Amino acid sequence: MNYVPGTASLIDDIDKKHLVLLRDGRTLIGFLRSIDQFANLVFHQTVERIHVGKKFGDIPRGIFIVRGENVVLLGEIDVDKPCDTVLQQVSIEEILEEQRLQQQAKQETEKVKMQVLKDRGLSIPKADNLDEY
Amino acid sequence: MTAKEKEWITRLQMIQLQSENPYLEDYYYQEYYRRMEAKLAEEELGTRSKREPPKLTTPYITKTDSYTPVVHIEGSLGQVAVSTCYSPRRAISAVHAVQAQSPLEFLPFLLISKGKKLLARLLPFLKHESAQTVLHIVTRNLPTLMNRDTEEALPVLYPALRNVIGGLTFSQLIGVLKDLTSSESQTIFVICLFCLQFGLSLLYALLSQGEKLLSSGVPLEPSIGDFEAWTDTIFQVAGQLSQCSLVEPLLLPSNLLTLFCRYLDKRTVHQLKSNME
Repeated sequence: MNYVPGTASLIDDIDKKHLVLLRDGRTLIGFLRSIDQFANLVFHQTVERIHVGKKFGDIPRGIFIVRGENVVLLGEIDVDKPCDTVLQQVSIEEILEEQRLQQQAKQETEKVKMQVLKDRGLSIPKADNLDEY
Repeated sequence: MTAKEKEWITRLQMIQLQSENPYLEDYYYQEYYRRMEAKLAEEELGTRSKREPPKLTTPYITKTDSYTPVVHIEGSLGQVAVSTCYSPRRAISAVHAVQAQSPLEFLPFLLISKGKKLLARLLPFLKHESAQTVLHIVTRNLPTLMNRDTEEALPVLYPALRNVIGGLTFSQLIGVLKDLTSSESQTIFVICLFCLQFGLSLLYALLSQGEKLLSSGVPLEPSIGDFEAWTDTIFQVAGQLSQCSLVEPLLLPSNLLTLFCRYLDKRTVHQLKSNME
């Protein structure tokens, strides 16, 4: 029951399973236990889910406290809905290896791109170095 | 989360939502609610039951425009600056400090050499009463001032004060002289006025002004006892002057000897003359 009609509030989401996407790209799944006025979140039985291609892996993380400003998306997971996904769950070691390879490939393409731009006298700063301002 | 915590957050969010003109700031919700109500009213025209849809009611809390920019915690040595969007930070409370209500408050300024210089520059622009007040402060506190004048900055005040003296009436002059000569200890009196340059110069300036007034022929309008005080002062000063060795003053007024000639015998005058030169 929404205490505040006509508004959006996280109070109704408490004690439910949620998926949250953070600004650093991580995906966490856990039970939302506590919130505050800044939308800082406390997750219980948290699992970090890493996706690489069609594979994913879950790393159990325990209790997580997320600072509100770092949240991109937050959504409730419907546990009753049947899970019909094409994604394949693999072991932690495997997914971490996959991730490492993915990162490596990405870095190499980035490096080539930067070199090409540099040759042409252009430089595009990386997004994570930029501040919001 | 406990119910109390949930309530607290809800309350906090509600406070942020309240506004003076909701139709301006929250148009869509107000409109939506109005339409919902209208529809419900239409539906219930048949049935008599009144079913009101839930409406957002913000708690009524009067907004306080006042805020204390600087918070002083009991027992602390400093202040904590509260910064809001109206005032980023109030670093110094300069507003309350500068309100010198009583003339006595000038004394701290005079004790610093910078204060003396400042006052010397300021004196020409003050009104006559205010300037005289300053003169009185100087003469009344002369021992203190001369004691603490480590940098020998007092002479900067001399020109300005001399001008103030030049504007004194006879009665006012007597008043100032009384201040100077009424110090409790005779030694202090002697030291201040004769052995120290500033004091001596001030004394000479005052005597010179007196002589000027007396010999100018302008009606003096003296108060009762003024003339006696004047002659008393002359004798007292002359007595001391002839006995002490004097320092060289900042300025030796030309009419002093004439003044002394008028009141004192030739021998004393001669002695004074040789002392003063």
